[in-house]
Amino acid sequence: MDESEAIGEVIESSTRQFVAEVYEDASAPAFGTWVQVPDAEGADVYGLISHVETGSYDSNRQAVALGLSADERAEEMPMVQELIRTTVRVQLLACRDREGRLRQTLPPHPPDLHDFVYPCPDEAIQDLGTPADVLRTLVNHPDPAVPADDLLVAALRSVYDAHGGEAGGREALVSAGRALSRLLDDDHERLQSILRRVL
Amino acid sequence: MLNLHRLRDQLDTFESHEADTRKRRARQQERAETVLAACDRRWEAVQAAVEEAEPRRLVAALREPPAETHGAPERPSPITVVATDGSQIYPDRHVEPLFFLLNVSRVAVQYGTQEAPLLDAEPRLHFEEALSDHVDEVLRSLTTELVSALRDEMELELLLRTAREAQVEGRPLLALADGTLIRWMIRGMNNEAAEDALIARYTDYLQAFRAEAYPLGSYVSMPATTEVVNLLRFVAGELETSGPALDIEGPAAPVLDGLLDRHVFDTLLDDGERSATFGSTSHIQDAYPSGTEICYFYLRVPSAVGEGEIGRVEVPRWVADDPALLDRMHATVLRECEKGDGYPLVLSEAHERAVIRGPEREGFFRLMERRLRRAGLSPSNSRKRRSKQRPRV
Repeated sequence: MDESEAIGEVIESSTRQFVAEVYEDASAPAFGTWVQVPDAEGADVYGLISHVETGSYDSNRQAVALGLSADERAEEMPMVQELIRTTVRVQLLACRDREGRLRQTLPPHPPDLHDFVYPCPDEAIQDLGTPADVLRTLVNHPDPAVPADDLLVAALRSVYDAHGGEAGGREALVSAGRALSRLLDDDHERLQSILRRVL
Repeated sequence: MLNLHRLRDQLDTFESHEADTRKRRARQQERAETVLAACDRRWEAVQAAVEEAEPRRLVAALREPPAETHGAPERPSPITVVATDGSQIYPDRHVEPLFFLLNVSRVAVQYGTQEAPLLDAEPRLHFEEALSDHVDEVLRSLTTELVSALRDEMELELLLRTAREAQVEGRPLLALADGTLIRWMIRGMNNEAAEDALIARYTDYLQAFRAEAYPLGSYVSMPATTEVVNLLRFVAGELETSGPALDIEGPAAPVLDGLLDRHVFDTLLDDGERSATFGSTSHIQDAYPSGTEICYFYLRVPSAVGEGEIGRVEVPRWVADDPALLDRMHATVLRECEKGDGYPLVLSEAHERAVIRGPEREGFFRLMERRLRRAGLSPSNSRKRRSKQRPRV
């Protein structure tokens, strides 16, 4: 992958999830988007951004209200901007081995610290759309710190978008919706509330 | 373990002592005001008398009427402000091999523009090395005084380099250091040759600032200096030598012993104002090349919360002699203090970048130990240090 397209770097890592710091000049990826982390041998791990956070670099220094406009802040207190960073937490859901086999399960090894994080191309998300086993992980073992249904909404939305949105996305969405329906034990109200929010 | 209950009586005593001190100080301040006013009227005669009497204490040298106050001018914009600050890991007698570490930050800000600031720190590991023949001798004993002197020197060295790198054609610049520029603490190593070598190296940097026309200043927060008070005591006849007979209004008591310069200017200066500029008569100044001797003024720094404080700004004489540069220094330091809520913003940023925090310190020692072990050079950690690190139960 082209390293200039990396949006950030892994700074905490486990087989369940990792945290990445987003590069200053990269635009922060949205909640619920798919990302991938390739390793040196050609394997990949895939995950969904389940949390985005902006704060101070330095745990000893808290952000405080300054009462300055954005321009005044840039001109008179430029050091403030340098202290701000955005991090994302990624829930790991799938991996691809060196031979190219995709498995919708947790990776055998966590990504290495300082590995680059890339946004997933549409083709990779399409591959992850069926048989939608990743949804099972999201429903049955959600990150306790994240509202599970909101993440499901975002995940289904990215499946829809990756299949072309209005031009062809609906079919993929319906099939994912069916899978989800089974996972939710026919809890129609919950299912409907999720699907209502996708489109 | 600290038993707070057992401190109660002592705190009572402390409280009443503090109340007495404040009461006494208020009366001293009143008296200082009248002596200063008398001094102000005939300041040239006072200065001549000081020069003749050569009092043993450090007495402020007068360059203008001492009760003069100056309002704050507008800070130029855009302006380049550079600052450095340093911290260290002192040598530890309980660890072999002996070494110490200096970490000096570099900050450069282009105020009034949206250009990115420079925020950086440079670590330097020192061990038994050839610094120079003289310094080497002292280095073997590695006292904390020496380490501090070398840190101060590195701060000034990097401040000069940062000024050179951050300078923009046609844009005013100002370099700000933390603490005093008067290196009196160097005297006291019991090795005159080494002291001279250290002072010479420090003043070389001061000279370079002048040669390259980078206005330099330093900021001292809560200064404990008494040079102006000593001058007043000289005038009031409280020292072994005394000044010219002046017309001092009001009672001749109380004596001014124990009063600090900042108490004197506390009553004199309004928010944002600076005092007259004084010259330092510290003996170490004899070793400073002409033009780089240190002058200083006091400044009332306002604060959004509470009273604010009196800070001290030191500048080389060539800056003090140029009213435009002095105004630039005054305006910039004041604006910095306003933005930094009582302390110059660039200096607190420089401090944050220089400071070595506990975990970083531990990380450094671990790395050092691992490297030495891998090279087959096991470091020896004395039992005493180990027992300090891990208290037993």
